Amino acid sequence: MSELYHDSAIKHVTGESVYVNDLDGGRRELAGHVVYSPHGHARILSMDISGARALDGVKAVITASDIPGVNQMGPVVHDELCLAEDIVDFAGQAVVLIAAESKDIAREAARLVKVEYETLPPVLTIEDAMEKDLLLGTPREIKRGDVDKGLDDAPYRISGTLQTGAQEHWYLETQSCLCIPGEDQEMNVYSSTQHPTETQAIVAEVLGVARNEVVVETRRMGGGFGGKETQANHVAAWAALLAFHTSSPVKIHLFRDDDQIMTGKRHPFKAFYEAGFDEQGRIMAYKVHLHSNAGAATDLSMAILERAVFHADNAYFIPHISVCGKAWKTNLPSNTAFRGFGGPQGMAVIENLIDRIARQLKMDSAEVRYRNFYREQENNTTHYGQLVDNNRLFVLYDKLIQSSDYTKRRHQVNVFNQKNSYVKRGLALTPVKFGISFTTSFLNQAGALVNIYQDGTVLVNHGGTEMGQGLHTKILEVACSELGLPATKIKVNATNTSKVPNTSPTAASSGSDLNGMAVKNAIHKLKKRLTPVAVKMLTEQYPDFEIREENIAFREGYVFDKNFPSRGVSFNVLIPKAYQQQVSLSATGFYKTPGIYFDKSKGKGKPFYYFAFGMAVAEVEVDLLTGHYKNTRTDILHDAGRSLNRNVDMGQVEGGFIQGVGWCTTEVIKWNDKGNILNYSPDNYKIPSVQDIPDDFRVSLLEGVPNPNTIKQSKAVGEPPFMLALSVWLAVKDAISAMGNHAIEPDFALPASNELILKSARKITEKLSVYEK
Amino acid sequence: MSNSGSISFVLDGELKKLSFNSETGIKPTTTVLNYLRSLDNHKGVKEGCAEGDCGACTVVIASPGSDGGLVYNAVDSCLVFLPAIHGKQVITVENLKHREKGISHLHPVQEKMVTNNGSQCGYCTPGIVMSLFALYKNHHQPSREIILDALTGNLCRCTGYQPIVNAAEQACQFQGKDHFTPSEHQVYNQLQALGKKQTDIILEGKGQQYFLPAALESALSIRELYPDAVITCGATDVALRQTKKMEHLPLILDVSAIRELKVYHETDKDITFGAGLSLEAIKSLSKGSLQALFNMLVVFGSLQIRNMATLGGNIASASPIGDTLPLLFVYGAVVNLAASGGRERSVPVEQFIKGYRQTDLKPGEIITSVTIPKPPSKIHIESYKVSRRKDLDISTVSAAFALQLDDENRVKQVSIVYGGMAARTQRAAAVEAFLQRKPWQYDVVKQAMEQVEQEFTPLSDARSDKEARKIAASNLLLKFYQQTCPR
Repeated sequence: MSELYHDSAIKHVTGESVYVNDLDGGRRELAGHVVYSPHGHARILSMDISGARALDGVKAVITASDIPGVNQMGPVVHDELCLAEDIVDFAGQAVVLIAAESKDIAREAARLVKVEYETLPPVLTIEDAMEKDLLLGTPREIKRGDVDKGLDDAPYRISGTLQTGAQEHWYLETQSCLCIPGEDQEMNVYSSTQHPTETQAIVAEVLGVARNEVVVETRRMGGGFGGKETQANHVAAWAALLAFHTSSPVKIHLFRDDDQIMTGKRHPFKAFYEAGFDEQGRIMAYKVHLHSNAGAATDLSMAILERAVFHADNAYFIPHISVCGKAWKTNLPSNTAFRGFGGPQGMAVIENLIDRIARQLKMDSAEVRYRNFYREQENNTTHYGQLVDNNRLFVLYDKLIQSSDYTKRRHQVNVFNQKNSYVKRGLALTPVKFGISFTTSFLNQAGALVNIYQDGTVLVNHGGTEMGQGLHTKILEVACSELGLPATKIKVNATNTSKVPNTSPTAASSGSDLNGMAVKNAIHKLKKRLTPVAVKMLTEQYPDFEIREENIAFREGYVFDKNFPSRGVSFNVLIPKAYQQQVSLSATGFYKTPGIYFDKSKGKGKPFYYFAFGMAVAEVEVDLLTGHYKNTRTDILHDAGRSLNRNVDMGQVEGGFIQGVGWCTTEVIKWNDKGNILNYSPDNYKIPSVQDIPDDFRVSLLEGVPNPNTIKQSKAVGEPPFMLALSVWLAVKDAISAMGNHAIEPDFALPASNELILKSARKITEKLSVYEK
Repeated sequence: MSNSGSISFVLDGELKKLSFNSETGIKPTTTVLNYLRSLDNHKGVKEGCAEGDCGACTVVIASPGSDGGLVYNAVDSCLVFLPAIHGKQVITVENLKHREKGISHLHPVQEKMVTNNGSQCGYCTPGIVMSLFALYKNHHQPSREIILDALTGNLCRCTGYQPIVNAAEQACQFQGKDHFTPSEHQVYNQLQALGKKQTDIILEGKGQQYFLPAALESALSIRELYPDAVITCGATDVALRQTKKMEHLPLILDVSAIRELKVYHETDKDITFGAGLSLEAIKSLSKGSLQALFNMLVVFGSLQIRNMATLGGNIASASPIGDTLPLLFVYGAVVNLAASGGRERSVPVEQFIKGYRQTDLKPGEIITSVTIPKPPSKIHIESYKVSRRKDLDISTVSAAFALQLDDENRVKQVSIVYGGMAARTQRAAAVEAFLQRKPWQYDVVKQAMEQVEQEFTPLSDARSDKEARKIAASNLLLKFYQQTCPR
């Protein structure tokens, strides 16, 4: 079967695909609006909503005291208020909700809400939080060997700090939800959420109703990237409260600036590291403290920190290693999941470290990376004790060094740099080894519900959500091949908590691994029920042949005995027959990932079902006078196992990489000293544009590497390619470094923004002029 | 002056009349985006940012061209007020597919987007498709440069753009022919007929009066009568006051329908651009003769923005950054102004800009055109822009330089102007004085760079901190030196 295009592709290009804001809530639909705190930290002295309430067209103005259920929307830890009570903990925190006949009226009403605040000093940075001891949760620590001794024994030592920046998800569709009240206490929630089950739970909690009263449906999201894993719950909870109070449908579709102001970002990290290494560049000991800026509430910060700690090694075996992670509470919107989920922040530190080692030893950094890779026979376990199985690092390295012409281009870059004073080129290779599974082990489960109707068409429901990543396309592919039916006969339904309950978020790149297996499980049950019916029909039709149940196959719309493939019964004929014989044509499916566990107290276990690998070589040209850089060429080779759908997987690799490039270069978020975000609109928050893609972009999937024991031997591909962008980051550094002929370590951080490049290059110029004198 | 109270345009293949009165209750400055989304059959048009930075709302506006055909322009519908589509055809993503003999056919740009996997979440896709459609209509087998330029104003967070670029390459192979082609002549005639009426239009609704005069004379009398009316042309800046700052603008004077403001006049000495010419038009017209201006416009906004934005607007907004201003200063450009009763005056742009968003525009006056002297070949003019993202980004620092050397390579005349370094576009007067008569060589420039950093005290803001601004400003002088130093 040829591979399917995205199952919504035609609807996308014709504008027919429906998003929450396109839904018609009916004549009585109201516009919901959120009034939020303008202060990073303040006490609410008084609130006057009478003016807003009195405005014509306003149907409800509510505050915390109007919440019928619990004033909470923290997903893991209940430390996040749905509406502020006495204190506001960040600028953008919801204080008052308004429902009105139109958005314009709601906005006008918002201006009439009078809240008097007494501002309090905000804590904004990790350093501030450390000083005030605002530790969140329990530190995460994983160790192997004796790191201090390892450091002492090493011939060379390096230490330093690295700062990585926040990143705004910038899904094109801002957070949206439509809530339609039903009879009794029912609430129908149409949400752009990655986690319908949790949205259901939070809505039920704030409304004070049982979960069986709340149905959440998600057709598709206009992008998620982690930003709608927990924080879509907020908009849903607010819309539900307004719908409850007005007994009308209420839609909230956040205005772009409000979305950027109110929602959490990728966690900024600050790392303190120390490493010991030998003359070959092999790391003997590595000690790193990872500190994350969690924002005002826990949200997913601890799991994100954990993943950063798990990925501090990236692709490298380090005999003596100690990784400690701490999350800090600050007065920023609670930072949250974002593609990579702490992995990028953990990896950036060691990739920068290797870059430094190479510079100090005057070696090629790709060579130093190679020498430190996990080996296949020995030196093949991680700091948390998991075997690095089916290691693809060497095959990726060998192929990519060849296909990218690395050695020759390294030379060409050096020649170019010798001839040019202010425009420099940089080249870098970086690997990715990314653990696949939720590190919160119980989340590794999924459900499905597959219905066959009497006309032979199939409706597949599963717990995963479609945010553009092509999950439904992959699921469709699985269902087609398992049932032997063409895609025209099968529809993948909108995700709905009343069809498949108790689901995990579509996150951790696990969507197709988990839900694909659950759908397969459901289809197996159905096939098992249909098989005797088929055997009976075939036996009646072809009495001379011995038809056996174990030989029955479903292919190309027919059901037949494999030994007599030309004598089959059409699926369309089989199904009504089965119905008449009182066979159930609906089945649930379930899957849980086997064999994964992690002992938090010991820091050991097998938290990941498997690892995904990838590698990239990036070349950039940097104008050191303007700080502009150009991505001239990027070569990527990525391991997606036996790809479930190449169309989808290539899109994930390319798109993930470019999103990572944004994090590594142009996406800068700053706050003022009061805690107000400065970069709150695309006017000054810059995600990559089409001009920022490599002039020459060569992306391939590694062939011939089936992944054992996963759905159709595929691999998860959502997050890992994001981190391939570290190659661009370090290529920029390589170019800056060329200014000092690679003898001076450049000042560096992430992102390598225009500002950073200008300052770092200036510093090298100053150092050089000191030498000249 | 006539008061029609309505506008007419072609949508979904039909001539539509939209009336503005107390009954319809439509605000004249309703954006085309919001109007389309209020209809049942145009929900495909998406709002991504409401400020013209993402392109999700891109639609194509077709207007009658001089050659008897239609001119197709992609625009950000979130920044276009309804009256701007009077006399034009609006084409949205819903219009691209067509049915023939009961079968529905995708437009070539749609089909190639599907087969190249050009969409993932699909939210930016309608806008991307419309930018591709405009590209398709305007270019046959476009170069990569043209394709990238056509897509710069469309942000996509999912795909990494490569498949979209591939789709563009594969789609634009048919000389712009498609199912619109057969009816183009008819639409042209319809629009021409609307244009011929040439009446001044006044629209009222929701506490707003909107004047759309067809001639300069009427515009000047409205200007005199209503000095507080906000003047707009392409509205790419004014629209933000409504979409982002939620301001109510009670009086609007839209000068976009005035032919006198679209002049282009070239002499041996100078070029005059009508204040209402789009920056995209100026970009094409300046190539070669005013190369530094062309270079600046290449990285100015996006195609959607340049299709609407005007030079008059860029000057009148007097933004401290105002990407074109430093360059206009060093060119010695002159603003030409008119007021009713035949009063006219001309002021150098440099004197016209008074301060932070302040100009010398007098009550009753309208900017009619800008005259830019052609620099003699011995004068070297360059302009540079430093921004966080190279394209579709407002500059952190911009700079323009003009230099004339004498026979001994000494500075005979130098002009150095910065944007983004002060509350207004500012000349580096002390640096200019320092360089006067000095040999144009590295050590001198090095000293001048230090002076640049002393002369300005820029701000730290969302775009950059002040240290990086200073470094950028002085580096740009070095960059200019690199390009002009005698070898």
